[in-house]
This record gives sequence, structure tokens and C-alpha cells, in this order.
Amino acid sequence: MADATFRLRVTYGKTGRLRFLSHLEAAHACERAVRRTGLGYAVTQGFNPRMRIAFGPALPVGSAGLAESYDLWLSRLVPAAEALEMLLAATPVGLAPAEARYVSDKDPSLTAAMTLGEYEVVVEDPDMGPGRLAEALADVVGSGSLTIEHKGAMKVYDLAVCLPEGVQVSEEPGRATVRMVVHMGAWGSLRPEALVREALGRMDASDASVTVTRVALRPVEG
Amino acid sequence: MTVGWDRIEPLLAHVERPARYIDSEFCAVHRADASYRAALLYPDTYELGMANQAVAILYDALNAIEGVAAERVFVPAPDMAAAMRSSGTPLFTLESVVPVSSCDMLGITLPYELTCTNVLEALDLAGIPLHAADRGAGHALVIGGGPCSFDPEPLAPFFDAFLIGEGEEAVVEIVAAHRAAMAEGLDRPGVLAALALVPGVYVASLYEPAGNGLPARPRAGTGAPPEVVKRVVRDLDAVRSPACPVVPYMDVVHDRATVEVLRGCTRGCRFCQAGMVYRPVRERTADSIVRDALGQLRCTGQEELSLSSLSTTDHSQIQEVLRRLSTALRGRGVTVGLPSLRVDAFGVAMARLVGEGARGGLTFAPEAGTQRMRDVINKNVTEEDLLTTVQNAFDGGWRRLKLYFMLGLPTETDDDIRGIGSLVSKVLHVAREATPPAQRGGMRIAVSVSTFVPKAHTPFQWEPQLTLEEVRHRQGVLRDSVPRKGVELHWHDAEVSLIEGALARGGRELAPVIEHAWRSGGGFDAWTERFSLARWLEAFAAEGVDPVALASTPREVGAPQPWSHISSGVSESYLALERERALAGESTPDCSFDGCTDCGACPLLGADVVLAGGFRG
Repeated sequence: MADATFRLRVTYGKTGRLRFLSHLEAAHACERAVRRTGLGYAVTQGFNPRMRIAFGPALPVGSAGLAESYDLWLSRLVPAAEALEMLLAATPVGLAPAEARYVSDKDPSLTAAMTLGEYEVVVEDPDMGPGRLAEALADVVGSGSLTIEHKGAMKVYDLAVCLPEGVQVSEEPGRATVRMVVHMGAWGSLRPEALVREALGRMDASDASVTVTRVALRPVEG
Repeated sequence: MTVGWDRIEPLLAHVERPARYIDSEFCAVHRADASYRAALLYPDTYELGMANQAVAILYDALNAIEGVAAERVFVPAPDMAAAMRSSGTPLFTLESVVPVSSCDMLGITLPYELTCTNVLEALDLAGIPLHAADRGAGHALVIGGGPCSFDPEPLAPFFDAFLIGEGEEAVVEIVAAHRAAMAEGLDRPGVLAALALVPGVYVASLYEPAGNGLPARPRAGTGAPPEVVKRVVRDLDAVRSPACPVVPYMDVVHDRATVEVLRGCTRGCRFCQAGMVYRPVRERTADSIVRDALGQLRCTGQEELSLSSLSTTDHSQIQEVLRRLSTALRGRGVTVGLPSLRVDAFGVAMARLVGEGARGGLTFAPEAGTQRMRDVINKNVTEEDLLTTVQNAFDGGWRRLKLYFMLGLPTETDDDIRGIGSLVSKVLHVAREATPPAQRGGMRIAVSVSTFVPKAHTPFQWEPQLTLEEVRHRQGVLRDSVPRKGVELHWHDAEVSLIEGALARGGRELAPVIEHAWRSGGGFDAWTERFSLARWLEAFAAEGVDPVALASTPREVGAPQPWSHISSGVSESYLALERERALAGESTPDCSFDGCTDCGACPLLGADVVLAGGFRG
């Protein structure tokens, strides 16, 4: 029988300059932070033993995240608050953990559970007229689907499924904030930036700066 | 002038792999209040430069000095360089995002001849005049070091100074001399004259280039030494490995904790520049190695440890080191790597010691296919050694093997090349016989063949390099003789070797060629897909230098060479004697096992062979 392990769920941010990390780079950095803490972690059985750690849904290069998660299996039970403190000391600021709690080993994996991502997309363009972005986005969403070229292949997203709560836009001069909840699933996840870029393209404002932040991840029920 | 993150950030949305430019790694050192800023440039991208031990060691040594900040600089990939140029952003240091040109010193590692165009690219992006002669008091002091500084002449006009040899102690003296000169308010020539007095420092502008392949001589009244002798750290054990090197986010080459276990190698392979210029052998003690290795793993969180050196399994306490490490690291999912293995049972035993259950690949370097050829190059390995070792390895569960060979060595004939083919066939046979039939599908034997390029400061420094046509002929012979089934054959690009060879043994006449090649679009020439032979040949032709003559004309033994004023410690007469022995097929023993062979390095450098366990054997 395998030794007992304890599944610690850590919530962390991917912010500041570290938003430019890829999902794999961020994951690798978190793993190394765990090694630096001296926490006793479980390793996988097999030819190439690795740390038992599992990450939530990927966040692309350039996108920030305020509440990303990973599950870490510990071989020794350490109070969650203490583990959090150790992780905080060993992690670069841009990936700092904010919360750690034990979850049941029977819970579904993070990628299976966390299928809704709440996003905030800030668009900056000094020439952007009032209401134009909201209009262009409504146009895109209203068309029902979005076709995106990814690595040479065309991918079609059903926007009614991907955006269960629609898209909200708030504006101030030269700047707009787009909020949306994206439903991620077996069909892949719609990149909020792609949606906003499509709208910007239609309003002839492709040069606008776009900053994406995933503010929360949650299960469908929640 | 400042750069600042605000100017960099908007560029990153449009470039590949932005993690190259963001700094903020664990253990990166930030010193906002430093009074002296040294930029350390590796002339290639982040992912290659972060693997370089010299940069890590110097970063550590410089940051340890009061008031000094060492900051990393890498050459931006072409997409980022274009974005920087079009936005008017100069080359910046990663840590404080200041222009490289605003630093007090720019230290450049010169790892490989073909990185020379990237040196010019970096200087240009930094806005620093390419030619040292055009720089004034306000410009960063540009200092080169590393393997290519042993023949510094081709790059001499671009550098204010070179450090010859080992840097961790010398760099502290260089900074001290520079700070003192600055405090005195000396002008540029005054600063350079002060630097020339630091042992191991070569200030090329104080030397008269003699031309015609002759060494430069110091100008009268400059006080510069006629011969610059390389720096050497006598007691390597007194120097700690970097305790907490920067931990990259990106997947860099050799992404692992690294502890240097010894420096120098006196196996005496006659083609090997590293084996000649890093003498004598100095081992660190098992205690220091284990202490530094565990400390570095704890601090960085790396999952792999490399015990680096030119010949790690020759360390007199290697067994003890590996035993202690494998005990300390058991169950932590940390792997230990040995960079190169001795071709004998001991090498395999050591690999077994670090491998626990895992069996990765093993690498051996027989270098030549026939005993005659191996005697010429002083590679004291027999066919029986190799076959027994392979048998051992495959009996022990290894299934992946990589063999290194060289083509074009002095006196080589087509029969020697066919010898590589027949040796590989025998290896394949032994490996198959030792592998249960069901597992033979997992066998992988890779053969990597590079082209011999004669290097300065070696017994073969007078030898001609094969011409392009001859290399291609011999590669054909090789291809026909190596078994097609079960072997992956790779070889080095012959065109790259030709240019590498011309640059490796040239004088100051090559500087305009390098500049021409860069101005006509050269850069990242060490990357096969970016290298252009046509561009280089055009640059050589335009500047009136014949690369084929430079690389492929035999040189008179004993005649002065462009690097003769630079001393690695090994005497010219020893190199000539070694060449004679090579041609006679005589081998020379390793002084760290069998006693002094009179290469001259120890007495000239005031150093000695240091063996942690007292003896090797």
C-alpha cells in the first residue's frame, strides 16, 4: 500500500512581470518553490520519480491570474497556515501563494472541477470612441460563433456555450474594461484576448493594448 | 539615460518567449544603490547564456564586492532586437533595466569563435562605439574573457581589454583598479594603462600589431608586459561554487544545479584546447563539493545536479562524493548527472552509483576509430576498453549510448574513417548481444562526428585544417562505413567548421572581416539555421583575407603565431614536442596519475596539481 499523502490546495497569483511566463514555466517555478521550502512532498512511483503536483487550467503567456491553483501531495502533514508561510517565503513575488487548505483526495482534479474562468480584459486606446467597443463585442457575440486560427488549424467556438454569462463592458476615456466568464471544456477554452481582438479588428483599432487578467476560477455549480 | 520596465513591457506582447527579458527570477540580485555597475554579457540568447558557468561564477564574485552590482545581459533574439531598434530602446541589463552603456563595465564571455558577430550586435544595440579607439571616459569599459581570449587578436579592436584565464579572483582586481582609476579622475588612456598592470589583463591598444601572422608587441613606455600570462586560481577549494545561482523560469540549456568538482584536465588529448589552457588539475575536496551541492539544491529547488568538470570521473574522491550525495538525496526525486564518462569499468560503476533505478543515456568519447589514430591524438583508450565498457553498460541495464568521434585529425586516412564505422559496428553488436531480444527495440546508439578544427595553444596549432571539399569526401566515406540500421549518425556542418577554423587561429586582420560579416546581416552564426557561408566568404573577400589559406596552410613549427604573446602556461616547446610524439604515434601519460611531464604550466603559473585524495589511480 502506498504511504498516506495529504492533498494541499494552493491558490496563487501570476502577476506583474511574471504574467509573461507560459503555463509550463509558471508550473515549473512553483515546483521549484516547493522544493525550496523543505516541505516533505510525495513523489510519483515509476521510472522517473517526480513531485506529485497538479495544476489547474492553463493560463497563456501574457495573461495574469489572481487566483490560480495547484494541488500538492505532501508526505507529511503540516498545518496549512504553516505550509503557506513556507511557500510564501520560497516563491517569487509574482507567483506568491495567497491561500492553502487541505482538500479530500476524492475531490475531482482542478482541471475537471474548475471549468469557469472569470476574466477582466483592459483595453487601452486613446482614440477609442465611447460605446464602440461594447458595440463591436455585441456584434461578435451576437454572431454566435468565433473562428480562430491556432497553429495553422481553424477552430470554431460556440459563443453561447463559451460565454454563459455574456460580456460586460465598462468605459472611461481611452480605456475600457471587459468582463466575461469563459466556460472551459473538452472543446478547449476560448481566449478572451482573441474575442476582444476580433472586436477591435472590426472597429479598426488593432493597435490597442490589451491586458488580460483571470480574476477567479470556479466550478460550474458555484 | 534610463530604460525602465515601462519601455520594455509593451514590446513583450509581440515577441517570442518573453520570459527571456523579464528578470525577477529567484536569486537574481538587485542593487539599486550600487556605486559601480558591471554588466555581464553572454553573446547569445538567455537560454544559452544561463547555462554558462563562467557568467554564474563572475555574477557571484562581483556581487560579493561592496558597492558593486553585477547585472546580466543577453543578446535579444532577432524579433526583440527589431522591436528594440524600432522603438529606440537600447540594450538593457535585466536586473535594473538600465542601458548597458550607462554601466561602468561591460564584461563579455567569449565561449566560441562564431559568437563574434553577436558581440558586435550587442555593442551596437547598446549604443557603445564598436571600436575601443572611439570610446571615451563616459563609455563602459568593455572587457572580454573566456576560451576565445586565448587568441584575442581577431576581436582586439572591439575590446578595451581582455582577461586571459580564470576570472573569479582577477575580476575583483580589475574592478578595484578601475574604481581607483575613476576616483583619481584618469582619462581613458590612463584607465587602460592602470588595467594593463593587473596580472592576466591584455590591453590590446597598448600593443603594436605586427601583421603577417606575428604576435603583437607592447608599445614602448606603456609598461605593458611583453607576454600576458593567464590567471589561475591556485586553491580551487578556497573558492565556493555560487551558493544560490539565479533560477531561470524558462527551459534553458542545462537547467540544473551545477557544482564544479575540479578544474583542468591533463589526459593530454592533443587536439583539445581546454585540456591545454586550463592546466594544472586542481580538485576540490569531497567535503566542499557535497556541501556546495546540497546547499545549491536547497537554495534553488533544482531537480537535477551536475558535477561538472572536464573529467569528473577522474576526481580522486569521486566515489565518496557520489555515495554521500546519493544517500543525502534518496527519495527526493533529484537526479545527479556526470557530464562525461571515462571509457572503463569505473566510469560505468560511477554512472550506476548516481543512477539509482534510472538508466538514462551514457556518453563516451573514443574520438577516433583506429588505435593508430587514437595514439596520434593521445586518447589512451583501446578498442577493448570501449567494448568492455559498452558490454558493462548494457549488462547493467543501459539502452542508450552516445559516442563522439572526430574527423580530419592530423595524419588521418580514409582507413581511419572506416575504422570509426567498424568500431561502431562492433559496439552495436556487443550492445545487442547484451540486451534481451524483447528490449532491443529500446536500444538507441547515436554517433556524433565533429570536424577537427586546429586550435591555438595545442600541439596541433601548426596543423592544417581539411578543406571543405576534403571534409565532404571524408563525410561520404564515413556515411558509407557506419552501419545504417540501429545507429543515428550526426555530423557537424563542414561550412561552419571552415569559418570557425579561420577565426580560431587568425590575427587582428580578421577584425574588419568580422565587422563586415555583422554589417551584412550576420548574427547568431553559432545557430546552424542562421549561419551563412556565402555571407562570410563575401566578408573575407571584401577585406582581402583568404579563409582557406588561414585555416588550411600548414604552419612552420616554432614560428611565432598571432597569439604567441599570450601564455597559457604550457610552453611552446612542450607543444612542439607533443606534436612530434603525435606524428610518431607515441602517447604521453597523464601527469595527475603518473607524474610530471614537463609541460611548463606549474612552474610558470606558480601553481601545482592538487588532488583532494592525495593521489589518483
